[in-house]
Amino acid sequence: MIESETPPTMAAVELSGIWKRFPGVVANAGANLSISRGSIHAVLGENGAGKSTLMNVLAGVYRPDEGEVRVEGVAHRFRTPADALAAGIGMVHQEFRLVPSFTVAENVVLGAAAGILRRQAIEDEVADLAEQFGLATRPDRPVWQLSMGERQRVEILKALWRDAHILILDEPTAVLTPAEADELGVVLRAMADAGRSVIFISHKLHEVTGFCDEATVLRGGRTVAASVRVADTDAGELASLMVGSSPMTTERPPAHPAGPPLLEVSGLSALGDRGLPALESVDLTVRSGEIVGIAGVAGNGQRELCQVVAGLRQSTAGTVHLAGDDLTGASPRRLFQAGLGYIPEDRLGVGLAPRLSVVDNSILRTYEAHRRGPFIVAEKAEAHCVDLVERFGVRTGPLHEPMAGLSGGNLQRLLVGRELSGRPRVVVAAQPTRGLDVQGVKAIQDLLVEAREAGAAVLLISEDLDELLTLADRLVVMHDGQIIGEFDPTTASRSEIGEAMIGHDAGVGS
Amino acid sequence: MSRPVLIRREQALRGGQPLSFAIGLVVALTIGIVLLLGAGHDPVAVYERMFVAALGDPDSWSVTLNRAVPLGLAGLAVAIAGSMGLWNIGAEGQILAGAMMAAGVARIGEGWPGPVLVTAILVGGVVGGGLWALGPAVARSRIGVNEILTTLMLNEVALRLTQWLIHGPWKDPDSFNFPLAPMIPDHGRLPALFGRAHVGVIVALVVIVLFAVAVNRTAWGFELRVAGSSGATARYAGISLERKTAAVLVMAGGVAGLAGGIELAGTADRLTEGISNGFGYAGIIVAALALMRPSGVAAVAVLFGAVQIGGQSIQTMGVSSSVSTILQALILFGAIGAGVLSRYQVRMVPGDPDDPGGDGVQVGGTT
Amino acid sequence: MNEASLIGLCAATVSFGALLYLAALGEMVSEKAGILNLGVEGMMAMGAVTGFMTALEFGNPWLALAVAVMAGALTALLHGWFTVVLGAEQVVSGLSLTILGLGLAAYLGKNAVGRPPGAVLAPVDWPLLSDIRWLGPVLFQQSPMVYLSVLAGVVVWFVLSRTRTGLALRAAGESASTADAAGHSVVGLRLTAVAVGGGLAGASGAYLTLSLTPQWAEGITAGRGWIAVALVIFGAWKPGRVALGALLFGGTLALKTRLQTFGVEFSPILLSMLPYLLTIGVLVVISVRARNRPSPAPASLGIAYRREER
Repeated sequence: MIESETPPTMAAVELSGIWKRFPGVVANAGANLSISRGSIHAVLGENGAGKSTLMNVLAGVYRPDEGEVRVEGVAHRFRTPADALAAGIGMVHQEFRLVPSFTVAENVVLGAAAGILRRQAIEDEVADLAEQFGLATRPDRPVWQLSMGERQRVEILKALWRDAHILILDEPTAVLTPAEADELGVVLRAMADAGRSVIFISHKLHEVTGFCDEATVLRGGRTVAASVRVADTDAGELASLMVGSSPMTTERPPAHPAGPPLLEVSGLSALGDRGLPALESVDLTVRSGEIVGIAGVAGNGQRELCQVVAGLRQSTAGTVHLAGDDLTGASPRRLFQAGLGYIPEDRLGVGLAPRLSVVDNSILRTYEAHRRGPFIVAEKAEAHCVDLVERFGVRTGPLHEPMAGLSGGNLQRLLVGRELSGRPRVVVAAQPTRGLDVQGVKAIQDLLVEAREAGAAVLLISEDLDELLTLADRLVVMHDGQIIGEFDPTTASRSEIGEAMIGHDAGVGS
Repeated sequence: MSRPVLIRREQALRGGQPLSFAIGLVVALTIGIVLLLGAGHDPVAVYERMFVAALGDPDSWSVTLNRAVPLGLAGLAVAIAGSMGLWNIGAEGQILAGAMMAAGVARIGEGWPGPVLVTAILVGGVVGGGLWALGPAVARSRIGVNEILTTLMLNEVALRLTQWLIHGPWKDPDSFNFPLAPMIPDHGRLPALFGRAHVGVIVALVVIVLFAVAVNRTAWGFELRVAGSSGATARYAGISLERKTAAVLVMAGGVAGLAGGIELAGTADRLTEGISNGFGYAGIIVAALALMRPSGVAAVAVLFGAVQIGGQSIQTMGVSSSVSTILQALILFGAIGAGVLSRYQVRMVPGDPDDPGGDGVQVGGTT
Repeated sequence: MNEASLIGLCAATVSFGALLYLAALGEMVSEKAGILNLGVEGMMAMGAVTGFMTALEFGNPWLALAVAVMAGALTALLHGWFTVVLGAEQVVSGLSLTILGLGLAAYLGKNAVGRPPGAVLAPVDWPLLSDIRWLGPVLFQQSPMVYLSVLAGVVVWFVLSRTRTGLALRAAGESASTADAAGHSVVGLRLTAVAVGGGLAGASGAYLTLSLTPQWAEGITAGRGWIAVALVIFGAWKPGRVALGALLFGGTLALKTRLQTFGVEFSPILLSMLPYLLTIGVLVVISVRARNRPSPAPASLGIAYRREER
């Protein structure tokens, strides 16, 4: 194939000095990446390090503000994913882009089919292609019948069908069972051996050390380690490169002795959205006056833990006690009345009703308390709203207009304010500062600390390790639905925590 | 070179709805002028006649208000469901079902005193419409059957059932073998209000106001609106959806059925297959123009009533009554167009040969 | 009951079946691309009146059919513009299209009411085949529209299931973002499907006024557009099953006027409820089964698509 004709020194992909800014965020600040042909290249970094943005630039989803994209030595300016595909770059996104009712073969050829489809012929061709790369699949099966692993293979086949010689996989193992992840490693190796290049975005260091040749580490939108040979390094070194050792910027609130336990979770198990175990016998206690942080890579059971505690997901085993009362399986309203404030991860889809007014949203949890007979007393509701708006510094338009027009920071202030205004005994906050600007982050963090000072037990889930290290009195790490470690944020090293997050030193995984 | 693109506004223009409504009206009337000129009529004379016939004096107001009753109640039947994010396309059939039940009550209650019979007829209408919506309501809340399609199908079933009654069991023996149901007794008719307007106007207004208040001001309505915004948010707020879904659809059916009862006892005086007269479908337009808010339904219904009554009156000038039908549909299309524009602003952007946005519609501001 | 009337019933079943099939096929194409068009009745009326009037004016039934198809497609594109391009609510826009189409047809056809047709699509007498006992009169002495509807069904089936365009169109109806990501224009596909759907509805309307009735009168479509909407569900969005459903529903239409001839003591009106009740039954079955498998309805049906950009 082509590899014998081009000099081996030329990289398959060369990204240099890539800048990409979004309103309020610099996602890439001069990032570089060089991929050699026929290799499996890991791109590592924490959430928000700019990995996905950089890959989307390469895949033609975003156009970089500055910087150069070279493929096989030729400079490109991709405008659409189709352009990138034409240059041989295929991307498998975390959320699959498949038509569930179509067969595997139909999905593979969609957008790249001949004018007339001969079903048997394309099924045979897809089967051949799959066999060539060792991708076990059944071309005549509708996709909805397939497991996540099989669906991922269909996505890879789609890229191969369009003759992508550079394949980007965005956290491909997040949806796979360990056995499926191992199979994927074999497939990727076969592709690399056939002269294609694979870019593998991951958090899981054992996979990186297991089947990648080189690794590039991103932090804060910059490349901090470029094309390190995996054989020359180890997981510990990569972990500390990922999390860095930046000094803490925000001042940590003074510690004080914690009070009695207010939230006690024991032996809690639950299924995830796909019906697979997402939470396995979790034990956790949060005391009055402390913030317990949960660190972990997204998708390791944090979301399900919050939902079960807040009454929005059924548990399969275990109990939840609130201030000593067994409230396992209680309704969201009952839990709220028992003193549980919940700041859900999905603000607009769960925590707020964007089509309703600011006033309506401010009484979403307490409208029963604003009743007189069948009516909601408008003055009382409005007074409550005005109180929230003033106390929590929400900048709003007219209070009776739909709240969808508010900015993200103000939406979140209202939501957090509403949940905290009743002086809850327990606060569960899921990603409360994600996507907010610096001021917004500070405001929300201050509110959580304030709740702690007032004696609440605060459970904080965040993907931002800095935030957790700053705010939490205790830090637990979740991996694969379990709590696999507890740290004292004042003494623990970031690399220790980082390794625990990827299930490394705790011996979880393979 | 620069070219215009539509940019989505963060928030719809304030006052955009009445404005787009007005634009829709203007668009419709303008196209109407073309149609009228094409058919050799004087548009000014025709529009003047329409206006006078619909809103010119108290008597025409009374006719227009009578017409606004079924339109408003049908619109309400759609808007109540719409407040919760459900589509009730079945008002047409629910009106017929209400009228059938009301006619049945009138047959049984011939000997009852006037006030009792009138009340019973209206209650019969509510019950009939509610029962007609019960199937779709239960199917939707229990097994998730799409209510758009079931309510739509039941419209045609209700029409056939009405025809069957008129051609068969309820055929008036004195009608010389014409398929006509007998007249309801005189003392079962709705009392007059003023001019030709009957008390149905008051009944409808009260019902609309009651529901507007219920949806906007009560805890029940609050739960409805939260559920209409997002099911997940409703669960978070502790609202259970299943029973509410069924109840709301049945209530919507009852409201449409009331329109059937009122038409029977107020204007038609006997069960006819044309008693629903497309009110159920027009009600969907009324509700859409009122943005699915019960509080906006009454005003839109009066306007639509005026267009319909005006449209009937110009037939004496040799103008097809279809002109008013066309106007009604055009008002909606014009308003939809204007409504979309009020959510966007047109901005000229430098022509970027690299820009892939070939659709012309670009959506920004979704960070 | 004699042989002649039974043959008459079967022949009428095929005629009515074809009438319903054309309109249902059009609705199916539109829905397959994700656009619910409840304006079938209006589009049929437009096709019916424009076809009839073209025939009056020019005396050529084929030109009349072509005009009817165009009129149906243009009417449908109004719905396409509002729902596909502007993203308006499909239910509201479609119902308004029904009202507009019926009104406009009544307006245009005012002077054509009661007039004899200017031209008709004469039944095709297939050599030899038409003489076959039973089969001849039922299948081989029909209006050309019957054969065209069969052809349309085969073409639609072929395009949807055997071509790149059909695959893309179905993808636009199942998962618009996937079709978009694969490089297809969702707007283009959906507008095309809506126009084709309108064209077929227009053809169905023309079949009424150029062949089946053949006359123009206000309200001539008589709710058959709604049967077409029902048929698409009944046939689970599959051309073959819709064809079978069309014959079944067409049979009820044919039987309606003949019940008494056969001495059956059953109200023809109640019989005509059957298509709708059967369709409701199918809807319930689909929903119950949807717990274990995806519904046969296109997954993005009724949902406007806008590309999300950061």
